[in-house]
Amino acid sequence: MSIRNLPAMPQAPRQPHTSSASPKPRTPPKLPTRPTPQSQQAQQTQYVQCAQQTQQTQYVPPSPQTPQTPQTSHRAKLWHRWQSAPGRVLAVAGLAALLLAVQVGAVPVAASDWWAWAGDGPATGGAYVLWELRLPRALMAAAVGAALGLAGALAQGLFRNPLADPGLLGVTSGAVCAAALVLTVFAAAAATLPPAARMWVLPAAAFGGALAVCLGLDRLARWLTPGSVSGLLLTGLALNALTMAVVGLCTYLATDEQLRSLSFWTLGSVAGASWPVVAVLATALAVALWQGRQLSQALNALALGEAAASHVGVDVPALRWRLIVTVALLCGLAVAWCGLIGFIGLMAPHLVRGVAGADQRRVLPLAAAAGAVLLLLADTAARTVAIPAEVPVGIFTALIGAPMFLALLRGMARRQGGHA
Amino acid sequence: MKAPLLLPPLLTLDRATTRVPGREFGPFSLKLNPGERVAILGPSGAGKSTLLRLMAGEGAAHGGQVTWRGEPLAALPARTLARQRAVLPQQHGVAFGMPVELVVALGRLAFEPDPGQPGIVAGALQAACASHLAGRRFDTLSGGEQARVQLARVMAQLWQAHDGLLLVDEPLAALDPGLQLALLDALAHFTGPRGHALVAVLHDINQALAGFDRLWLVQGGQVVADLTAGRAALPALEALFGIALHCVDLAPGRIGVLAQRAAQVPALPA
Repeated sequence: MSIRNLPAMPQAPRQPHTSSASPKPRTPPKLPTRPTPQSQQAQQTQYVQCAQQTQQTQYVPPSPQTPQTPQTSHRAKLWHRWQSAPGRVLAVAGLAALLLAVQVGAVPVAASDWWAWAGDGPATGGAYVLWELRLPRALMAAAVGAALGLAGALAQGLFRNPLADPGLLGVTSGAVCAAALVLTVFAAAAATLPPAARMWVLPAAAFGGALAVCLGLDRLARWLTPGSVSGLLLTGLALNALTMAVVGLCTYLATDEQLRSLSFWTLGSVAGASWPVVAVLATALAVALWQGRQLSQALNALALGEAAASHVGVDVPALRWRLIVTVALLCGLAVAWCGLIGFIGLMAPHLVRGVAGADQRRVLPLAAAAGAVLLLLADTAARTVAIPAEVPVGIFTALIGAPMFLALLRGMARRQGGHA
Repeated sequence: MKAPLLLPPLLTLDRATTRVPGREFGPFSLKLNPGERVAILGPSGAGKSTLLRLMAGEGAAHGGQVTWRGEPLAALPARTLARQRAVLPQQHGVAFGMPVELVVALGRLAFEPDPGQPGIVAGALQAACASHLAGRRFDTLSGGEQARVQLARVMAQLWQAHDGLLLVDEPLAALDPGLQLALLDALAHFTGPRGHALVAVLHDINQALAGFDRLWLVQGGQVVADLTAGRAALPALEALFGIALHCVDLAPGRIGVLAQRAAQVPALPA
């Protein structure tokens, strides 16, 4: 039976929408009063159009979000700019944070010190502080922040969950665990390696540890609690406890000297910055960003669910494998030189998703930028809040990140009617 | 039935079995011809969705074989298959707050780079009665609206293909009766000219009789009957659901049924 043969029925108008960005002007919701002949006709054609509207109505693409609030205050203007062009705002903020990071500190840096690298001879005083200490450190903080932000965004896409932070899931603790084993139990074995190779032992071990936890988490969570979000987080919790127990064992077995370097890892700091390390991190970051660009649309499809993603043409096992290796690489390298810095991977993608939407093609690069800005600011604060002493930056990010995680949890529970 | 007889079958199940923990389904031996429209009917838990997943290639068959145009389904790359075959799942949760257009555009993933994508997305949204949902976040939509957007996604996937296959699992479950009929028409308008075969898991016998060529009746993990849609299928349907069907002639060659409680359940014909 075709619906065109049906008599026109008095109906309330369909779908009183309340969204802000709508492609068509909508009629305001009306109460179903006695229909006029015109409205009857209009409603009758509504369904009919649906089935045969291939040529009839012209689709109007949705206009980008138009500003609706009058921008009176400075804060409102800034907020609007952040919403409309988050990339530009992050770039400006990043540059400002970088300048702030190199200017602020115990030793004042003069403008002339910026030109010192052109002169010959070893840099001294302010120029040395600028070029050998602060600038590599600031760039390292930015690179590590970007790596953590990107790793967080990738992990969240992989596990289809906005709460999946590599730190919470135990991926970074896996890296710390492997690094701790190398520093203590296998310290003698590592010392026999040629000096050139010794520099790479720790990053390689951290990468291996992160990869092992990431793979183990993926397999275990699917096997123990297929498809469950809380199951994934609890599996991560268990792996986190397991790896931290191994770290504790290493601490117990360590000598006094080993203990000092171990505590560096568990607190997290970017104080060990140097130009070669910055270069390695930047290269890894570039590779990971390129990977992210390649995988972003497949990652979007993964949000539909694994089965649906494979139905639209994604090779899901290959995608998972590439994502896991990339996340492990980013976390492993970040941990190898900076130790445990938590919550950046959670905060950065969340901030970005709030303004740029959920499209991974935008979220991945923006999350990296947001992570860079966040860690740069956190490190500057950690360095300067108690001059001449220095607070480990991992403490700072946890102090800001943990309340934010709780707020995120509350927001999710509210949206889903109490089921986070 | 308008399947050209010269073409080889689109999809063949040869004694294919599949398994979920604690239960075995099959063996299924079925043939689907190009352009054919098949409705899968059966009581809840009979294995309708499982059969559809087996045909979609979701996990390899446990035993037997599923072939797509003569080739083993499991050996085909996901991308190649996605250009010819779309699947509309029963549940459609989408993680994160993705915009409606992006969800629909994901149907075009196997065709990237795809310059015609915006037009196809708009056309598919229109064909699925979902144009007015453009610009909204998927996770803020109601169940029925989400179903329409997902339908638009699978339509976008097969928009330019010919002689493909569309597998849908209860596409109309969350919709009001007016929209159910509109979407059935839309599906027919979509698959017909393109020559796509359509396999749908349905609950409504009238919809199955009106819009489909064949009925596969599923019970206890088996296809118990493979019938032409029409008056002759009614005794088997009565037996399948344990009901009595009162038949009404709506138009020449078109029947409707009214379900009633059966006093006595007749035996299923062999």
